[in-house]
Amino acid sequence: MTDLGLVIEDDEDLAFIFSEALENADYQVETLRDGLSAQRRLFEVVPQLVILDMHVPIISGEDILKQIRSDERLHNTVIVMATADARLGEAYTDIADFVLIKPIAFTQLRDLTARLHSI
Amino acid sequence: MNIYQRINHLLDVPSTDPEDARRRKLLNIILSVFIVLGILLTLYLVWSFFTTSRAVWNKGAGSLFGATVGLLAFSILLFVLNRYLHGWVTSGLFLILLTIGITLGDDPIQLVAGRSVFLFVMPIILAGVLMPSWATIVAAALDIAIMAYLAAQLHDPNIVMTPTYLGLAFIVLLAWLSSRSVEVSLRDLRKLNRELDQRVAQRTKELADALSRERIESGRTKAILDSIADGVIVFDLDGKSIIANPSLLHLLDMQYGEVINTSIKNLSQSKFLDTFNRGLLNNILSNPSAKASNYHIQWGKKDISVTCAPVLDRDGDPIGTVAVFRDYTHEAEVEKMKTTFLAIVSHELRTPLNAIMGYAEMLKEAVYGPVNDKQGRASERIMTNSHRLLDIVSDLLDKAQMEAGKLSLHLQSFRPADLVENVHSVMDKIAADKNLSLTSELDPNLPEFLVGDIARLQQILVNLITNSVKFTEKGSVHMCISKTDPDHWLLRITDTGIGISDEDLPTIFEAFHQVDSTTTRKHGGFGLGLSIVKQLAELMEGDVSVESKLGVGSNFSVLLPLIKAKRSES
Repeated sequence: MTDLGLVIEDDEDLAFIFSEALENADYQVETLRDGLSAQRRLFEVVPQLVILDMHVPIISGEDILKQIRSDERLHNTVIVMATADARLGEAYTDIADFVLIKPIAFTQLRDLTARLHSI
Repeated sequence: MNIYQRINHLLDVPSTDPEDARRRKLLNIILSVFIVLGILLTLYLVWSFFTTSRAVWNKGAGSLFGATVGLLAFSILLFVLNRYLHGWVTSGLFLILLTIGITLGDDPIQLVAGRSVFLFVMPIILAGVLMPSWATIVAAALDIAIMAYLAAQLHDPNIVMTPTYLGLAFIVLLAWLSSRSVEVSLRDLRKLNRELDQRVAQRTKELADALSRERIESGRTKAILDSIADGVIVFDLDGKSIIANPSLLHLLDMQYGEVINTSIKNLSQSKFLDTFNRGLLNNILSNPSAKASNYHIQWGKKDISVTCAPVLDRDGDPIGTVAVFRDYTHEAEVEKMKTTFLAIVSHELRTPLNAIMGYAEMLKEAVYGPVNDKQGRASERIMTNSHRLLDIVSDLLDKAQMEAGKLSLHLQSFRPADLVENVHSVMDKIAADKNLSLTSELDPNLPEFLVGDIARLQQILVNLITNSVKFTEKGSVHMCISKTDPDHWLLRITDTGIGISDEDLPTIFEAFHQVDSTTTRKHGGFGLGLSIVKQLAELMEGDVSVESKLGVGSNFSVLLPLIKAKRSES
């Protein structure tokens, strides 16, 4: 069974590029464009990997992050935070597994997520 | 008016010449004495006429009565004339009448050699007092003439006049001398008085002129102060406010009475200020600086900029403090909008750029099937150029934030070795693309951990190396991080590039410097990198410098204060 990867990103193009990178790294990908639908979906599925943009509409990336960390079912989920703000990213290095500062290169994300299968 | 003033008033003579007035008043006094004596004598004679026997009365009392009435009449006549005629005329007339009175008043023998000789002295002395000094000589001559005439009429060989004449001459001399000395001292006094008067008049005029000039000047200054839009307040050396213009009252929402005559401390305690701004305003006003410096304070809902400078007198000594308050609420809003605008614009620019770079990379990585060499290179060019555009956008945002004073340092402890490593990871490929080697050197004397903003330090190094790589065609770029003294450390980038001409050196750190020259087209870039380096260095309280030789290379240095981390982190 292929690992599930959630891409939570409001920008259509970036969401597409991220999901392409994940598919290239052999993930089954679901894309969610706002915080609320991401929150709902996270009650239903157990993803191995979440690519989380900090600035998503309705519910912030930070709240999603906290939700995942407080949910017992998701304790194995690897979180990759994506933000354009290096300072903001620094604040989450302890909570998220990885923090990537935008611009995130396709190869960078593909290679990173490919390695995560083995963890 | 008391009795003394009344008498004084009666004796005063209307004359513009003070000397004439003095003489005529003196004559009036003498005449008054004569009049009083005349009245008393007349009353006595009238009284004795009714009480004594006729026989005694006839024996000469009749002529005495006539003389007394005559004296009284003449005295009153002269007193009246003295009011209207020149002093000399009445005085002369008085002296002549006195002399006639003396001449007729006694037997000739008594007058020239007997009991009433001394009477002739009277007109001489009075002449000296009432008239100019020469009048004593005239009076003496007249007296001597009368005495000589009377002596001749007596036909008495026993009468020898010479001692009398000599005595008279001596008295004349004394009278003339005293009269003359009074005249001279009075003249000197009057001259002195006149000079004093002139001087006083001149000084008064000068003072009046200065006052009116001052009034015009201060009126003009007040008009200027009243009409400028900025609030102006002036404090004296004791820190007490002495001038405040209407704009200040309007700006601070205060009444004149609340602002004037108040101390710096009081003003800084205004209810419109919070604790921070109270301290700030007190500091600004208490430490006026000759350099124009702008401070921003929050006064109620207003953003106000305050500039404070010492007021100096002509010798350059401070005599107070002047502070100018300007409402920049609107500008602050514009500034805020500008920052927000830039943040939005840069975000809006970055997002599609990220997408472009992502798609180009996917093509290059053959996600959608194999690409030939040309397609691969095209994708690479798209990525490279997108990167450049992204860097420019980042630089612009940094620059705007610095100018708005919004950029702050994020201090943390870091390892200088990590800094070097990070820079290599970003710059190695860029240097290698131009066949340049990027070497580095880390001074072992540096502490293992320092305190600073590692991201901004990295930005400084990346900008400097990017600049060096841009202007170096062959050779190397060397990065050296060293400790110069216990309090400073140095970042230095040395290249073997084209170098910078002496005339360009002073402006190399100015924003958009490169845009002005033709180098842009050849080397690319926006000319912001070095100006950001300078501003970041200044934000870190450091200093940038550059040495360069055309055709040999350049040497950029950033000297920074060294802050050692208190604890080393693992």
